[in-house]
Amino acid sequence: MIEVQDLTKQYAGRVAVDGISFFVRRGEIVGFLGPNGAGKSTTMRILSGYMPPTSGSALVAGHDVFRDSISVRKNVGYMPEMAPLYTDMRVKEYLHFRGELKGLGGRELRRRTGEVMDLCGVTDVRRRLIANLSKGYRQRVALADALIHRPPLLILDEPTNGLDPTQIRHVREMLLDLRDQHTVLLSTHILSEVEQICDRVIMIHHGRIRACDTPRNLKNQLRAAAAVHLELQGNGKVIKELEKLPGVRKAVEEEPLEGWRVINVRVEARNDIREAILDLATREKWRVRELHQQLPSLEDVFVELAASDAPPRNT
Amino acid sequence: MRTFWVLLKKELRGFFVSPVAYIVLALVMVQNGFSFRAALSILETGSGSAGSIVKWTFDSGWFWLSYFFIFPLLTMRLFAEEKKLGTFETLFTAPVRAWQVVWSKYGAAMIFYCILWLPSLANFALVHSLTGGVVEMPEGELRGSYLILLLMGMFNIAVGCFASSLTSNQIVAAVISFTVSLMHYLAGIFILYVGRKVPEIFVDAVGYIASVEHIRTFTSGLIDTRPVVYYASLALLFLGFTHQVVEFRRWRP
Repeated sequence: MIEVQDLTKQYAGRVAVDGISFFVRRGEIVGFLGPNGAGKSTTMRILSGYMPPTSGSALVAGHDVFRDSISVRKNVGYMPEMAPLYTDMRVKEYLHFRGELKGLGGRELRRRTGEVMDLCGVTDVRRRLIANLSKGYRQRVALADALIHRPPLLILDEPTNGLDPTQIRHVREMLLDLRDQHTVLLSTHILSEVEQICDRVIMIHHGRIRACDTPRNLKNQLRAAAAVHLELQGNGKVIKELEKLPGVRKAVEEEPLEGWRVINVRVEARNDIREAILDLATREKWRVRELHQQLPSLEDVFVELAASDAPPRNT
Repeated sequence: MRTFWVLLKKELRGFFVSPVAYIVLALVMVQNGFSFRAALSILETGSGSAGSIVKWTFDSGWFWLSYFFIFPLLTMRLFAEEKKLGTFETLFTAPVRAWQVVWSKYGAAMIFYCILWLPSLANFALVHSLTGGVVEMPEGELRGSYLILLLMGMFNIAVGCFASSLTSNQIVAAVISFTVSLMHYLAGIFILYVGRKVPEIFVDAVGYIASVEHIRTFTSGLIDTRPVVYYASLALLFLGFTHQVVEFRRWRP
């Protein structure tokens, strides 16, 4: 559905997107993840035909985003960040206008307007001025607009930004329902969202792709942040002994809890040292009341990525 | 073409829901009232100047007093508001082309501009019917007057569109548009009325761009093709600029 090759976008000497390549298959939900200013929005704007890349190519539904921008736009339902809308229009009127603009007409237009209003839950505000709507409703109107012409590809820039938890869940369920008819590329920095609905995650930072995999693989792969939580009673050289174990990066003593020493053992990537710790404890006659591995959340991966700061390239 | 009509309809609607447009309509009606009253008083005193009530109405100080306020007020919103709201992004991710957007906005402003002058026709119709046709109202002068209004409108609205496309601030757009329109007008009268000492050839050249002269000619019922070409080509030039500004997003490095 999307094929991106060496895509680069520069603004006045600053590189926003730096030679990225990726693809999205039909029917996939792919999450675009990265801190603010990572190049997510820029990439999405290019893919939706809003602006051309500086170099590289992007095919959307088989059309080149630069040479055949109009065909690309017919195939894409794009929802920009912050959901900009004409504030002097009423909801139904706006969707009607957008549908017409995207080539719908007559009975089909009326039917689709009603359908997307129902789907996005804006039917009860259809006569309200958009200027008077809350952020959540505006967001939903923008989503309805993206859906109205039944585009095979949805590009949603932070679709849940500014919504309350109930609304976020609603949007998430809606996206899962839509997956039969649409391919979805969405950007977000809410990690739980990605973990729950995305088939694949593309992590982008400073305009470059840092990782691209399923949420599960990504967590396995980047287990550098994994640690073992340990509560025990033992002699003074516990820390020293633990750090001697192969695969242990560091052992950190934390605040003691109810007379038990609490130790956090940082482990190098893809090492399971739980058994080794237990063997050691038995040998040294430490009393252990808790031993468990802390799996990294996608959040840890994200924070680690954001922290590994390669400065942006300048031209 | 269908897209153009959809956009035009939306832009026109934008005029009729905006209070600014009604203020402009009121302004033009008041100004018409004053110029018409002035024309009537010439008729009352019979103070000798040549022409008809049509000519006196449009070739008067009252007319110019408010004329240049019309354009910034009508056009400042067109592009600047889209930039401010960020709706350019939604607009240009729908299958629309830049020329459709530019021409629909320009077209809607032109249509509204034409509507602005309709009430002034009622003045003439009223006097005509009340006096039983005694007051002379030559058809040629009427046609000429409304034609030059259309031509000057074409140019000034194109300038306004261009100004609006440059910025996301409507006030800035209004100031640019007002300044350019007024400067163009002043360039015309400055040399003709103040700069008597400049060489003759210069005065002739400025005659081509002097709106005051144009309106004098046309309200006398003379259709001069030079201003027609002049205003139409300037309008196209400024719309071309506007198109470039709107498309700049696509071409900038």
